[in-house]
Amino acid sequence: MAKLIFVFLTLIPILCNSFTPEKTSDRRILVLLDDFAVKSSHSLFFKSLQSRGFDLDFKLADDPKIALQRYGQYLYDALVLFSPTIERFGGSIDAAAILDFVDSGHDLIVAADNNASDLIREIATECGVDFDEDTSAVVVDHSGYAVSATEGDHTLIASDDFIKSDVILGSKKIEAPVLFQGIGHSLNPSNSLVLKVLSASPTAFSANPKSKLTSPPSLLGSSISLVSVIQARNNARILISGSLSVFSNRFFNSGVQKAGSPTKHDKSGNEQFFTELSKWVLHERGHLKAVNVQHHKVGETNEPSIYRINDDLEYSVEIYEWSGKSWEPYVADDVQVQFYMMSPYVLKTLSNDKKGRFFTSFKVPDVYGVFQFKVEYDRLGYTSLSLSKQIPVRPFRHNEYERFIPAAYPYYGAAFSMMAGFFVFSAVHLYNK
Amino acid sequence: MATILAKFLLLLFTISICNAVTIPTPISDSHRSAALQLFHGSSSSLEETYEALRVFEILALENKPDVSAATCQNVVENLGSSSSLKDLFYALKVNGILKCKVDRAVFQGTASRLKATVNDASTLVDIYYTIGSLVLIKDQAPNVDMLLADADGTFHSIKALSQSDGRWRYSSDNPESSTYAAGLALEALAGVISLASSEIDQSRVNTVKSDILKLFDSIQKYGTDDGTFYFDEKFGGGREHQGSLSTTSSVVRGVTSFAAVTSGKIDLPGDKVLGLAKFFLGIGVPGSAKDFFNQVESLALLESKRVPIPLVLSLPATVYSLSKKDQLKVTVNTVLGSAAPPLTVKLVRAFHTDAKGSAVIEGKELQYDQSRGLHVLSVFPDNVDVGTYVFVFEIVLHDSGSENDYAIGGQIHVPIYVTGIVKVSNAEIAVLDSDLGSDETQKTLDLAGTDVVSLSANHLQKSRFSFQLTTPHGRAFKPRQVLLKLRHETKYEHIFVVRNTGKKFEIILDFLGLVDKFYYLSGRYDFELTVGDAVMENSFLRPLGHLELDLPEAPEKAARLPPLPVDPYSRYGPKAEIGHLFRAPEKRPPQNVSLAFLILTLLPFIGFLVGLLRLGVNFKNFPSSAVPATYAILFQLGVAAVLLLYVLFWLKLDLFTTLKALGFLGAFLLFVGHRILSHLASTSAKLKSA
Repeated sequence: MAKLIFVFLTLIPILCNSFTPEKTSDRRILVLLDDFAVKSSHSLFFKSLQSRGFDLDFKLADDPKIALQRYGQYLYDALVLFSPTIERFGGSIDAAAILDFVDSGHDLIVAADNNASDLIREIATECGVDFDEDTSAVVVDHSGYAVSATEGDHTLIASDDFIKSDVILGSKKIEAPVLFQGIGHSLNPSNSLVLKVLSASPTAFSANPKSKLTSPPSLLGSSISLVSVIQARNNARILISGSLSVFSNRFFNSGVQKAGSPTKHDKSGNEQFFTELSKWVLHERGHLKAVNVQHHKVGETNEPSIYRINDDLEYSVEIYEWSGKSWEPYVADDVQVQFYMMSPYVLKTLSNDKKGRFFTSFKVPDVYGVFQFKVEYDRLGYTSLSLSKQIPVRPFRHNEYERFIPAAYPYYGAAFSMMAGFFVFSAVHLYNK
Repeated sequence: MATILAKFLLLLFTISICNAVTIPTPISDSHRSAALQLFHGSSSSLEETYEALRVFEILALENKPDVSAATCQNVVENLGSSSSLKDLFYALKVNGILKCKVDRAVFQGTASRLKATVNDASTLVDIYYTIGSLVLIKDQAPNVDMLLADADGTFHSIKALSQSDGRWRYSSDNPESSTYAAGLALEALAGVISLASSEIDQSRVNTVKSDILKLFDSIQKYGTDDGTFYFDEKFGGGREHQGSLSTTSSVVRGVTSFAAVTSGKIDLPGDKVLGLAKFFLGIGVPGSAKDFFNQVESLALLESKRVPIPLVLSLPATVYSLSKKDQLKVTVNTVLGSAAPPLTVKLVRAFHTDAKGSAVIEGKELQYDQSRGLHVLSVFPDNVDVGTYVFVFEIVLHDSGSENDYAIGGQIHVPIYVTGIVKVSNAEIAVLDSDLGSDETQKTLDLAGTDVVSLSANHLQKSRFSFQLTTPHGRAFKPRQVLLKLRHETKYEHIFVVRNTGKKFEIILDFLGLVDKFYYLSGRYDFELTVGDAVMENSFLRPLGHLELDLPEAPEKAARLPPLPVDPYSRYGPKAEIGHLFRAPEKRPPQNVSLAFLILTLLPFIGFLVGLLRLGVNFKNFPSSAVPATYAILFQLGVAAVLLLYVLFWLKLDLFTTLKALGFLGAFLLFVGHRILSHLASTSAKLKSA
């Protein structure tokens, strides 16, 4: 018994590890599969995760022993759902548990497919992604398909309509189109957190490839999203793909030629696309932190407790980006600070020294009250930064106004000559005889 | 269990979707390059080394990594010492490929050690490794005495573990039966037969043969007419779960090795062997070394003439372009891609998927192109138009006697897409006045070009758009995707399916009926036409022009335009800078003007002084005696101090300091003032009275 307790006590620190970017080791990912065959057929994708230091735990999705948390602590930092057909997870996992997992700041990768189950669709819908309701529909593109001698139905699409964001897809341009075969989804227009990463071409549509089109398809053209990402308000990131095979070795290694294009690429863009995308989803890129917010009057170093109107002040903040291994200085020229009371009085872009420090200086407005320094940094693909620091601003004190105004000299002159006259007059009046 | 199976099937179907409709292609160069990536020299265990070496051997890879020196040392170490049965087994297997220099005495010692334990081994796995090792020693050192004395007994002890349905148990005290174990048992039994000093009783061998047939009854099948078969392991408690790939390959290993040592024939159905081959090929290129080994080795065993050799019919391309005048090519190979025996491929019939009853081609033999190793249908018959077809092939072996040596399957259905360029013509777009339908403005369009039209209409009018599509053979063509898109300035889109009667596609937009759908939005609508089909080589998306639509005002109850997706790029990005507008300072006169006025204000004082001098002031009234004179001086000094204090107040002092000082000065001034004034008053009173 004592031995058991000892084992448990030594286990506690292991069980209590939850995701923090500061902690590089022990980043565990639970991979739920329909069958272990996926482990081998999609091994390149898994290998790229493992080579980046992730610890993958492969389980069958209906394994009765799977669990996301134990004793209130999450056992994993991310979840990969490569089980498009699963109707009910084993163990204690259900859609609500997965959403709780995301709500607590963990990442999620979901791959659906032609025969995606209602459970997978439900999880996607909760994330703001609506898969085509017609379960037999797949994305077909008669103009943007991948040329193939054995694929005649144009469901294998070569898509090169990527989101324009270096932080999500990496700074290296993806030259080859991405092969896609699966179902399309649309994004809820009222959801501002979800982003289309890979869109279909304007000629694509989502329908059953076996039947004729008699009514307009529900999903059409470039509004079809093939792969989407979501960054929740707690910075948890979700990747949703309408196809599982896009992650497969076969697609990673396959050559690609888009219909109508003369260039034939030896290798599709899938490997680069999904490797880079997984880096973003797993917070190896685009995760910012702001530290060391400082402000003071020009020429001083200490932070005052109050400013006077018309003071000149300097503001600085340090911002770093997580690179997967360490915090690197963040370089950008669009970080802005607001001097804010009900509405911004001053909004200024910060200059940076390429070492992570962002700074600017400005004059305090001639309005007094309680102000805030606010940095609201919301950029495509980056985690949002929201800093605010309260600072009161007071008016001039009575003795801080200007004292010797030349325009007032005639008044002073009149008063003082009057006084001098009084002195002379008093003496003359008293002692004259 | 059934759901797991179903899921696996669906999954495999999606993984191999490329091959799902056609027949899987044989092992090719993609396998070879994948093998070099997967097995890259240094392996941690002998088992993995063996798998790598075996794969290289089967695929006949030339530029394989050379590991023989280090591995041979490892082999010799394992043979010499009393290592575990498994390690010994794989060391011998590796030695079988590498042919390391091993002393005969070492073999002798190992063999006698193994023979001693053969009868003690209780579990199937132990027996499997022991027998397997003995067989390997027999192959590698022919002059060592390997024969089993009590072969019958060993045979019996293995057979005792078999179950009625053809599966085996792992050990006698484990009731769980397993398909994977059946494979191991069959391989062990084959080993016992080859090691037996005397002939094994033929009746026993026959019961094992019937066991094999029973095992094949439990084979799993997927798809409806796909013809793919595999073995799957039922979930067993305790033991590690074997996937269907390793289970199937275990059975294949067992059955082929058993078939190799027995003289009589095992009546394996050819379609099931072909189905197994399809299963292994359908996996594609596995990503894990173990799966890769299982796949390649099983395929090699299927090709080893111990069972009917499966022949795979595959098509390099299933999309045929009429415009490029492609040929229909068919290849027939063994599973590892080597040449098939002389045979003829017959195209039994071909039919359009929409008209299954009427065949377009019937009973045609394909010509064999010796140089390329292809069976070719050189000319497509004229009645094959664009569309999707199903071609039914059949393989006929030239040597009818060898039919039992090969598994060729029956008729093979292959979907074929015949594509071509569809002619688009007679495109017209017009705005019609209501009911009468008289053309008001009719414009023709060349859909192959890029010209666009601009029209205008109001809600009482209609718009008609029509065009024709004809196939290369002049028939009507109905593509799957004929969509007309109207996009309003607000980016809101309306989609219409254009329907056809014969060759002619026509759509009439009655704006009166559409005002609700258009949300009463007047303004510019852009037309866009999308025509596309899998067999249409010139699928297109083309802007047609725009229409200025004048719609009535929306009634109050009309539906509002639903929210449109927001461009994500506009949501982010920096905001415009804001600078604070400071209050402007008050306007002041120039300094010179102020100074000039200062001088002006000083002038009266100077005038006053001058006036006093002109009047001739004197100080004769100043007290002459000492005490009053002191008071007078003090009084004047006090007044001067007060005035000076005022000057100081202006220059630097604040109100509080000034008032304090003024208090003291005031009290002092009161005192001395009283004294000097009373003195002056008494002096003047004396003067008056005098």
